[in-house]
Amino acid sequence: MMLAYPAAGVLLILAWIYPSHALYFHIGETEKKCFIEEIPDETMVIGKYRTQLWDKVTSSFLAATPGLGMHVEIKDPDTKIILSRQYGSDGRFTFTSHTPGEHQICLHSNSTKMALFAGGKLRVHLDIQVGEHTNNYPEIAAKDKLTELQLRARQLLDQVEQIQKEQNYQRYREERFRMTSESTNQRVLWWSIAQTLILIVTGIWQMKHLKSFFEAKKLV
Amino acid sequence: MEVGRVIVCALAVFVALFSERFVVLASFSQSMDSDFTFTLPAGRKECFFQTMKKDASLEIEYQVLDGAGLDVDFLISSPSGQVLFSDYHKSDGVHTVETVDGDYMFCFDNTFSTVSEKLIFFELILDNMEIEEEQDDWKEYVQGTDILDMKLEDIMDTINNVKARLGKSVHIQTVLRAFEARDRNIQESNFDRVNFWSITNMVVMMVISGIQVYLVRSLFEDKRKVRT
Repeated sequence: MMLAYPAAGVLLILAWIYPSHALYFHIGETEKKCFIEEIPDETMVIGKYRTQLWDKVTSSFLAATPGLGMHVEIKDPDTKIILSRQYGSDGRFTFTSHTPGEHQICLHSNSTKMALFAGGKLRVHLDIQVGEHTNNYPEIAAKDKLTELQLRARQLLDQVEQIQKEQNYQRYREERFRMTSESTNQRVLWWSIAQTLILIVTGIWQMKHLKSFFEAKKLV
Repeated sequence: MEVGRVIVCALAVFVALFSERFVVLASFSQSMDSDFTFTLPAGRKECFFQTMKKDASLEIEYQVLDGAGLDVDFLISSPSGQVLFSDYHKSDGVHTVETVDGDYMFCFDNTFSTVSEKLIFFELILDNMEIEEEQDDWKEYVQGTDILDMKLEDIMDTINNVKARLGKSVHIQTVLRAFEARDRNIQESNFDRVNFWSITNMVVMMVISGIQVYLVRSLFEDKRKVRT
């Protein structure tokens, strides 16, 4: 068991791993791809990406392209930029939300040399993990010296905590939604009454004015 | 043993310095479900790809959250290029595919709309893709043993059961969140529309009533000039 701690340390470092079965998509040179994550507050988000470049010579995607980086920009619900950094061809970014709401994660390549992209697109593998999926359980087991049962219980607790956070956030959203609906309903009612009154008043004023006008012209 | 420890520590330092160069395919994350929300501009088609293994299953669920009309075209094609499912102008949908080896492509098509961009949420649920690794990882790094009256296997079964159910709860929460986001966006656009058209209506009414009065008066002005 003496080896366990440094071995866990090795795995810890290797936890900076790349998405292997994740989704991938193609991105053009100046194209910007944005994803929206709606999350409660104090939630950690980890994004991992891996890029591959189309190689005309071998007609396949190369494993890694040195010198080609991706610029990652993350905005919080108030459209304030909370992260704006350049990463290499494989990268990992992480942030923790401080306000609940829609956070926007944007990726675009920083390639300035047209030659790198000529005739092809860049393939980006992306994986975004939110909340308790960001926890590294082998690391936690090593740090707190947990048995298997304790580790499983800890994982369940984290999962339930995340569900509870999401539910609280859901309540806050539903309250805002209800306020907007009620405000809309009220406004529809008041606008309709106001419009009817204006119509009636305008009609009466028009008739009176025209009548007095005709009387003045000695037509009536 | 001491030498072994030193070697492992040195390896840890070495790896820490050069971690970017290592690619590890095993022991990836615990969850194989992923969901994404993105904006699809007007007149564009966006495609995503997912690498699958044989005899696994891929379930994809998507919803249009915002954007006039709340509809989008959807397409799934197999690694061989054959179109498996195709939806036309749908606002949400769910499809399950029994997979073979290869990359499955699914596309969201907004080319029929020239002005409105759509906000699309989709969720991928993968089954039967190498779940066994997870158990082995944890076993290697836990410390100590548990001493209990019950058999450990029974407890583990219960725990796995609870974990599966919680996973379903999370999944349902995600779906509800997408529905709620869509309803909220509908309401907010209603609100803006009601405000805008009410004010426009009022302004138009006043302007027209003023014009009417002016026109009728001007008719009579000319007649008076003619008489004298």
